[in-house]
Amino acid sequence: MQFGERIVTLMAALVLVLQIAVVAQRWIVTHIRIFAIQSFFLAMIAATIAWFNHAPHIYAAAGLTLVVKVILVPIFLERLVVRMDIREEIKPIVNVPLSVVISGGLTLLGYLVAESFHKPDEPGLGHNELAVAISLFLIGFFTMINRRKALTQVLALLSLENGLFLAAISLTYGMPLIVELGILFDVLVAAMVLGILVYRIRETFESMDVSRLRRLRG
Amino acid sequence: MTERFIECGAQLFLLLALAPLVTGAIRTLKARLQTRRGPGIIQPYKDIFKLFRKGMVIPETASWIFAATPWVVFFSTILAGLMIPMVAADAPLGLFGGALAVIYLLGLGRFFLALSGLDTGGSFGGLGSSREMTISALAEPAMMLAIFTVAIGAGSTGLTEIAGAAIGQTWRFLAPAQMFAFAALALVLIAETGRIPVDNPATHLELTMIHEAMILEYSGPYLALVEWAASIKQLVLMTLLINCFWPVGLQPTWFGFGALIGIGWLLAKLLLLSCAIVLLETVNAKMRLFRVPELLAVAFTLGSLALVSTFLF
Repeated sequence: MQFGERIVTLMAALVLVLQIAVVAQRWIVTHIRIFAIQSFFLAMIAATIAWFNHAPHIYAAAGLTLVVKVILVPIFLERLVVRMDIREEIKPIVNVPLSVVISGGLTLLGYLVAESFHKPDEPGLGHNELAVAISLFLIGFFTMINRRKALTQVLALLSLENGLFLAAISLTYGMPLIVELGILFDVLVAAMVLGILVYRIRETFESMDVSRLRRLRG
Repeated sequence: MTERFIECGAQLFLLLALAPLVTGAIRTLKARLQTRRGPGIIQPYKDIFKLFRKGMVIPETASWIFAATPWVVFFSTILAGLMIPMVAADAPLGLFGGALAVIYLLGLGRFFLALSGLDTGGSFGGLGSSREMTISALAEPAMMLAIFTVAIGAGSTGLTEIAGAAIGQTWRFLAPAQMFAFAALALVLIAETGRIPVDNPATHLELTMIHEAMILEYSGPYLALVEWAASIKQLVLMTLLINCFWPVGLQPTWFGFGALIGIGWLLAKLLLLSCAIVLLETVNAKMRLFRVPELLAVAFTLGSLALVSTFLF
């Protein structure tokens, strides 16, 4: 159990590092791939928990995450990027070094919040993974605000959802399977609707910059 | 007491002799990876000996700083190198300083090098100095945070204690704090030794130089001292990285047969790290200068996360 906890903590730390690396990214394709790797590690965390705690229903959650978030959504998004012929870099609103430091600060905030959930005597994964999950959540929110284009905002939303998944796994060994299925299906549909909408936005406004959408007024 | 002298002498000899070898090994590995043959592993030795025999040309506008800098840089780097555990866990000058002393000695060398770049009055020297200072202003906090992380784990900033605390705990490296600190220190290593994502050490275009622009006016024995000091600094930082996090093979003392085993382990670990550096250099292109603060901001955040992780994880 000690070994399993170490492995899970290690992978959670890697997930956190990937989330911070996402904040510093300038290329959308790299963003998508890092999201895929991050989701892969999350699926591995779920599988490790299922192995060490003899809870086979989590394997289903891990498998679903693997199929939807590691394979389907990244392939769909990359095809979208190729079809829209996006060649520009991601230009965040707050510059990259400052946003990386802000994400570090948000991680600290996540750790502090998770401290209050820390009950050493209770069995379960403990507060490390919850800290990482809250940090993922906060950094995902921050990244979503920090981007101008719709596609990158939805990518940040997806990583936010990754944080939710990790929080659920770490606190209660996963949500009921029906809820998992619902959430994953939501993610898939959101990515597809995004694909259609972003294309339409680009066609109408010649840019994915969401601040242009305000020009409908007046 | 005499043992200390012998240890100092042995580590001094190791530093002086091994540094050009590491530089040569990195160049040869990189060449081989690019399907070239490379200039040969012992070429840096030949370069240094050649430069010592050559005459010097000193600009007229240079002051005493220009003449003093090679000596200051050389001796401060050697002094820093004597304070790190290389073969034995017990660094020869470990009583005189620990991690902070090493950082500040290397900083002293860099300070004088930047001043000498400005001293000659040429524009490329000033360019190199300002770039070097920008990079080091961002890299030093990251290095300090990473070192403090391992120091907290060991309970002291003495490098002997840091290396000693990590011996015997194989899984310790897998703790998130150690991994973050390792990643931060690795990024800082690339920035401080001027390797490819940050600075191209083999460039001959002055506008892309950072370290070489500062030493552009040096020639003859001064250039030999400065280049040797740069290789020794690279060796010191690499040894710091590997011995703080993976002190496998560190012997208790320098004496006895164990010293040879220790040297063997050191060479093996340096080879491994050199391969990693070469891989990183070959896969990446040199970053544009205004992107370097982004990389160092990531290093800084990783370092602060590492420090926080020791308390909260």
